[in-house]
Amino acid sequence: MTYKVTEEGNISTVHLDGEIDMDVTEKAKEVIMPLIEAKKEVHLNLKEVQYMDSSGISVLIESHQKAMELGTKVTLKEISKSVLKVIMMAKLEQILNLD
Amino acid sequence: MEQSHIANVDEKRDFEVNSSNLKHVRSFCREVFEKLNINQELKDELVLAIAEAAQNIVKHAYNNEQTEDKMEIKISVSDGHLEIGFFDKGRPVEKDKIRHRKIDDIKPGGLGTFFIQQIMDAVVFKEGEKPWINHLILSKNLNN
Repeated sequence: MTYKVTEEGNISTVHLDGEIDMDVTEKAKEVIMPLIEAKKEVHLNLKEVQYMDSSGISVLIESHQKAMELGTKVTLKEISKSVLKVIMMAKLEQILNLD
Repeated sequence: MEQSHIANVDEKRDFEVNSSNLKHVRSFCREVFEKLNINQELKDELVLAIAEAAQNIVKHAYNNEQTEDKMEIKISVSDGHLEIGFFDKGRPVEKDKIRHRKIDDIKPGGLGTFFIQQIMDAVVFKEGEKPWINHLILSKNLNN
């Protein structure tokens, strides 16, 4: 997995790229969580994520819940087909913010 | 798409038990499933189920601890019936304790087993024959 972070006002966009599994979840959290803790609105761009497993889904849930707790928001942007399928399989499409 | 004439396959591979090898598990599965006349969506689902089961071995049978042990994954298809065997030498699986979290209880974790059960027709834990400790069998009829 690789990533790039862009900033625009209070919105930080994390562009994730590659496959997100148990091996890279800590790395993903290290990128995303500090942005949420800084009370940024976080956009996760998932266009280039070709694979996500339950560990990746856990990162999405954790980020969403942390953001709610701190009064900010995580929005999933340009979700790839394969990631959307896993989100739907987990019945999270009504819980997470999908755009 | 009609899924007829599914080739018979019988392939197995060993993997070191650690999270950095999960990508190699997926590559192996994709390689094998390329040989089958099934649609891409089903291939992706099967790769996910297998990777989740392999992840459970790393996480639960080995507690994510460093080991030199290997796990073996065997993929067989015969007359359209897919069977995937997982063999490991980790802690014995306590079958009664294996359950996914309630799906409406939104919290991180506990989804891997849910995905496996959604994708596969049957999930069976057996005691492994020596030298193995655990033997998990996932199966699915690909003719449906």
